[in-house]
Amino acid sequence: MADIEETNKADAALRTEVRAWLDANWDGTLQPDQDKWNLSAATKAWTAKVLDAGWAVPTWPKDWFGRALSAEQADIIAEEFARVGAPGARQDKSNLAANTMLAFGGEALKRQMIPGLLKREIVQCLLYSEPAAGSDLAGVRTRAERDGEDYIINGQKVWTSGAAHADYGMLLARTDWDVPKHKGVTFFFFPMKQPGVEVRPLRQITDESHFNEVFITNARVPAANIMGGLNNGWRVLQTALAYERATMGDRPRGARISATSDDLIALARHYGRLEDTALRQDLAAVLSLRKLNALNNARAQANLEQGTSSSVMSLGKLAMSRILHEEARVRTAIVGAESLLEGPDHPFGDDANFLAFNAYFTSIGGGTDQIQRNIISERVLNLPKEIEVDRNVPFRQVRSG
Amino acid sequence: MTTSEERNAICDAVRGLMQDRSSETAVRSTMETPQGYDPALWAQLVELGIVGLLIDPEYGGTGLGPLELELVMEETGAALLCSPLLSSGVLAASLLSACGEKNAQARYLPGIAAGTTIATVALTGDAGTWTPEGVTVDARSANGGALLNGVASYVTHGQIANLLLIVAKTGSGLGIFEVDANASGLTRSALPSFDRTLRLARLEFANTPARQVGQMGWPAVQEALDVALVALAGEQAGGGRRIFEMTVEYAKTRIQFGRPIGGFQALKHMAADLMIEVESSTSAARHAAEQLAEKTNQAEEAVSLAAFACAEAYSKVAATAIQMHGGIAFTWEHPAHLYLRRARAYAQLFGSPSLYRERYLTQLGA
Repeated sequence: MADIEETNKADAALRTEVRAWLDANWDGTLQPDQDKWNLSAATKAWTAKVLDAGWAVPTWPKDWFGRALSAEQADIIAEEFARVGAPGARQDKSNLAANTMLAFGGEALKRQMIPGLLKREIVQCLLYSEPAAGSDLAGVRTRAERDGEDYIINGQKVWTSGAAHADYGMLLARTDWDVPKHKGVTFFFFPMKQPGVEVRPLRQITDESHFNEVFITNARVPAANIMGGLNNGWRVLQTALAYERATMGDRPRGARISATSDDLIALARHYGRLEDTALRQDLAAVLSLRKLNALNNARAQANLEQGTSSSVMSLGKLAMSRILHEEARVRTAIVGAESLLEGPDHPFGDDANFLAFNAYFTSIGGGTDQIQRNIISERVLNLPKEIEVDRNVPFRQVRSG
Repeated sequence: MTTSEERNAICDAVRGLMQDRSSETAVRSTMETPQGYDPALWAQLVELGIVGLLIDPEYGGTGLGPLELELVMEETGAALLCSPLLSSGVLAASLLSACGEKNAQARYLPGIAAGTTIATVALTGDAGTWTPEGVTVDARSANGGALLNGVASYVTHGQIANLLLIVAKTGSGLGIFEVDANASGLTRSALPSFDRTLRLARLEFANTPARQVGQMGWPAVQEALDVALVALAGEQAGGGRRIFEMTVEYAKTRIQFGRPIGGFQALKHMAADLMIEVESSTSAARHAAEQLAEKTNQAEEAVSLAAFACAEAYSKVAATAIQMHGGIAFTWEHPAHLYLRRARAYAQLFGSPSLYRERYLTQLGA
């Protein structure tokens, strides 16, 4: 009991401290950034201020801008920031590059990169997938060859967001072709702004361009920029991917034109369809999926806070992809013939089509639903692994095409 | 309010009892008996305070609430317990409490908590809607009491109960009546239940003498039904989890084509999808229990969600479990069909998934 009271007292003191700091420093005038790859000077200045105050990465060690707090206490900080709408707190949960760097970077590299990553001054992108290495990510063919203090990189990467703005890319490249595929890849913090790096935008099925192809020809990266050690890239990638997947199960993108498209009840009301009993059944079923996923996440979170790990966490992305596809189906049924049309004059038709197409972002990106099911069944349910014909074969001899 | 350690202790005790006394063999033997439950096991449930879990200590009960009830039901549901717990300790006890009539509570709750009274509630007619419109018993007053006429069906454990609480139409809305098990003009017939672990009866009333319990009508019934739905959701979540675990274990040991069938993606992907159903169903049942325990304004919405989500998840998990097992689960000797029978029965009992989907949507403001 005494312990619980002590914790409550510490929690209350922390909340008071955050609140007082926000009262003194946050005036609510900071404008949200339109382009997340090109942050305003004001956003960067605010982010730096939050970092100096110790709110950016509260669970990190004190030597590294943190306060060594528990996740529960750090959530108090996030809650207070969310309450006033201030950004910048709790990057220890969201900043993929900074977290991976803290875990796997060498001392000098960490000192060089972490402040800039946390202040959002260094923009980074992900250089994982390749045309011939999608679901089979360990099959990357981009080459990294040692040349003095550097490695020389040659290859092609794809599905890279923000490549044109990025200062660095988190690059997975092959450093040993004579061992099986997982054992010959290395993770580099790769400088993007150099000759030999060419970025070409990809046009998506949504007619948007958020991703790029990156062509790398004789570009260089210092050996000191290796993260997690030579040929240990697969392990580093697992950590980085876990951060990515956790955020993908969290908050997917909503409608592009009208917020009403995200509210299926409001949309059905707008179309005068709320009396349709068949649609009502469908609506209730699809709305329940999102609620159930939220309840699962809350239960997983509660388990984590009690110190028991939760396998429920791994279900989030797969569940979300079903939610998005199912919502898209019902939304299209509500909108009906208007989904023949697009553009701002037909917002609900446009949104219905956009969301139906963009659902694949979640069901393919960051590991397809099928890969997610393999992961859940193998790592959570402990079912046997699928036979892998390339598992113990030197990568040089693995069939490709 | 119990602590989580106390709740764990209750669940451990119930789990232990289920392992000892409600094994598959025990369930198979009990489900073939006329009364449909094991009196010795029933006495042990009484002793553990499970039968009187919801009943006030003033009347000899344990005085706990929906939160503890739901967790206990996860254990009994996993073991396919055959007992009148849901009828007597949950539905009838909740209805008596919801009625607010002290006399009736003092008369019956101690017996229910002690397990000597087995009570049940008759609240729907042959159409089985579990809605106010579905009531097909009429009450008229006579000699300071009442006489009932009509039919009530799908009455859980109605054949063996010694206290019958009947929902009937009166001149001023629905009322709740108690009827003695030996009352004149009462005909009780056992119904052939597809889920043999469950007992159902049809009651016919021909000028059957009855006594009205309090002045509450359907609101009290709905309050009791909501508690019963949370209990049912717990059993569904627990049953779904158990048959899922059995299926995953089987997939690890059954060898075909020289390797465990659980290594084939066709089965692995089914298992991953079922895991979402199992976890969602646990989350929905526990969420409903929490909301009901704290009497929040989202309680009704949460109960409706659990009612259809847990029902459909259990049906899907139990049905897919048979497919994943293959031929072995098409036999009577394999327990998978017992779970599917239970899942299909519980998806209709106390109202269909479509009823609760509609209620959920209404509560969301549509």
